[in-house]
Amino acid sequence: MDVHVLGVALHPAALRIGEKRLEEVVFDTARVALRDAGVSRSELDHVTIAACDELDGRSISSMLLAAPAGAYLKDEIKVTDSGIIGLCMESLRLSSGRFDLGLVASWNKSSKGPFEDVMRMRCEPFYTRPIGLNMTIADGLFAQAAGNAFGITDEEVCAAVHDGYGRAARNPRGLCSAVPAIEEIRASPYVAAPLRKAHQAPLTDGAVAIVMASGRWLKKHPGARPIARLSGIGWRTDGYQLGNRRLAGFESLKGSFGAALSMCGVRKCADLDLVELDSQTGYHEAAFRRVLDLPKGFAVSPSGGPLAQNPYFCTGLVNAAEAILQVSGRAGAVQVKGARRAAAHGCHGFAQQGNAIAIFEGA
Amino acid sequence: MPKNRAAIIGVGETAFRSHHPDKTYVELAQEATIKALADAGLTMDAVDAVVFSMAPTQFMGVNDADKWAIDSIFAAGKPFLRVHTGGATGGSALHAAYAHVASGMFRTVLVVGADRISETPDAQHILNLIWDHFYEHDVALNTITMTALSTHRQMHFHGTTEEQFARVVVRARRNAMKNPYAHLKGMITVDDVLRSPRVSWPYRLYDICPRSSGAAAVIVADEGVAKRQCSRPAFIKGIGAVANTVFMGDRMGPYADTELSEIPEAAYAGREAYAQAGITDPIRQIQVVELYDPFSSTQFPQLESLNFCKRGEAAKLSDEGAFEPGGLLTVNPSGGTLCTNPIGVTGLVRVADAALQVMGKAGEAQVPGVRNALATALGGSVQFVTCTILGTDPT
Repeated sequence: MDVHVLGVALHPAALRIGEKRLEEVVFDTARVALRDAGVSRSELDHVTIAACDELDGRSISSMLLAAPAGAYLKDEIKVTDSGIIGLCMESLRLSSGRFDLGLVASWNKSSKGPFEDVMRMRCEPFYTRPIGLNMTIADGLFAQAAGNAFGITDEEVCAAVHDGYGRAARNPRGLCSAVPAIEEIRASPYVAAPLRKAHQAPLTDGAVAIVMASGRWLKKHPGARPIARLSGIGWRTDGYQLGNRRLAGFESLKGSFGAALSMCGVRKCADLDLVELDSQTGYHEAAFRRVLDLPKGFAVSPSGGPLAQNPYFCTGLVNAAEAILQVSGRAGAVQVKGARRAAAHGCHGFAQQGNAIAIFEGA
Repeated sequence: MPKNRAAIIGVGETAFRSHHPDKTYVELAQEATIKALADAGLTMDAVDAVVFSMAPTQFMGVNDADKWAIDSIFAAGKPFLRVHTGGATGGSALHAAYAHVASGMFRTVLVVGADRISETPDAQHILNLIWDHFYEHDVALNTITMTALSTHRQMHFHGTTEEQFARVVVRARRNAMKNPYAHLKGMITVDDVLRSPRVSWPYRLYDICPRSSGAAAVIVADEGVAKRQCSRPAFIKGIGAVANTVFMGDRMGPYADTELSEIPEAAYAGREAYAQAGITDPIRQIQVVELYDPFSSTQFPQLESLNFCKRGEAAKLSDEGAFEPGGLLTVNPSGGTLCTNPIGVTGLVRVADAALQVMGKAGEAQVPGVRNALATALGGSVQFVTCTILGTDPT
């Protein structure tokens, strides 16, 4: 793939960004990304947005937010699955030969509205909505299925959450929350058995923007300094119904990872230097480690992943930004020494119906 | 220049009407998918990726409408994403599919969407929610009132009359008689339009599109698949899109970059698409346009911005019959959005109907000798515009 990263920006993480309207959050983040890339908005030939009307609290939220994202009088498109799907769309646009310099932006003020009510409205009206399915219950069903399939225990999950908070505490771009003791996690109440409250990554507000360019643009701008190359990308979506085969099958996770690895000529995930996983609960991380066959000691979510910040809709694109920072040697206190190739994972839909993977290499 | 050329090789549409009590949302999407696959002579096994076209989900009431539909359209396990740019969604979804194929990463892509606008008792209430909570909800802005304001401006600048808008409606309903899928159709008169109830000045009821339910799908493939599967593919020769500011007040006056009433976004999108397609004289090189025209006043400024005529001339040409089938330029032989508006797929329906004209499959609505056709889609506060040029030749 001849797609490159010029600059990246993450809005400072917060449980609630109360002092700014959403358009200010988006504008500030896009502006920092452009500055990091060393290009001006006028040079962009397109913008790709990933956003969710329902979580933004406004039908067609891009009406208001396209311009702050840099798209005023630019070719703009919006995808609604998740932030990292915006990156997938951006990679297609830059690879098409039609575009050369773009910005992909995503955001989520999850504090803005009743999050689980929005999740419940995801349900189709005949079977799942009447029983009150929401994200927590879907994740609980997933935890049951994955726990049974892999023999994942409460002890392992509590330890994974504890370790994750430990990594997140070192990430200067995250919330730097206090690291809970394992006993504290184990004592937290069940929210959807076997899932405990402390197994879940807290929701945060946030935004992310990445400036990307085609190889053709780089050739025309020899002074430009890319910070990473997108070497592989893959995305898949599973069926909607939450049967056991779907919950414990991980088909879209395996398919998307397989496609991305194949594209960059890597045989297995363990051959990468690190992976930033979208683990919404401790069960997710435990299951993902097994499905991806990650060896002990492999760098899993050195940023802390969603435990560092979890602006739910765009957490996968935050992971992409963290992976870019790793391969460009700019990850700060959570830098993995010698990281050359890093994967970012994002998922969306009930119990990870969809998965997407992006693999970055140092420029 | 794309890495791979892309073409539409299959089209599927359901009938469009207010309600489909016999089918769920996902079954509508399935019907369009099956028709498009059959038209392309393919099965879903041959489809590498899927783009779902769906605008605000509040009309039909399921936030994950696209993900609910995935099993019904046989897409589980495939690369899948949903595009949403308001009313422009269907045009943007086609552009997304084009990027899939042009990138060389995928050879065959299904674009499909469905909508059920009548599922909500008041679509214009939903369309009031697109505006700012603090400043705009209470002034009753919705898509009717917002475009009524710009229409007022159009009439002020160019002297366009209610009768001239009414003639557009008469033509649309008559053209729709030849489209088996159209929602509203029939032989009506200018007087019928002018006697219909006033809704928001200058609009009367017949100046406004219906709330439609239904689905549409197209199969986009690379040149190799297209030539193997289709005797006359509709090659995607040019795409253009633009996003303007949401604020209508910032699109008028001496310091504005663009003039609201002119739909100048169509000029931006059209210019880009024309450059790719080698269109230098649109009125001579393009035989059919499928314009996104949810209101009777939406055609004239688009035709002018797309350089089919000079600014302020479209209404006069319309009166003279220039835009009738077989005229100087055939405008919306399908009946257009004035007759059918399932918002989440309307832009895709425009592309599908333009593709049918290029492929020679438009049935009774077929215009003879179509070599190039153009489709537009408009969204948001008429701030998002896409333009797509289809043709019989790949270059």
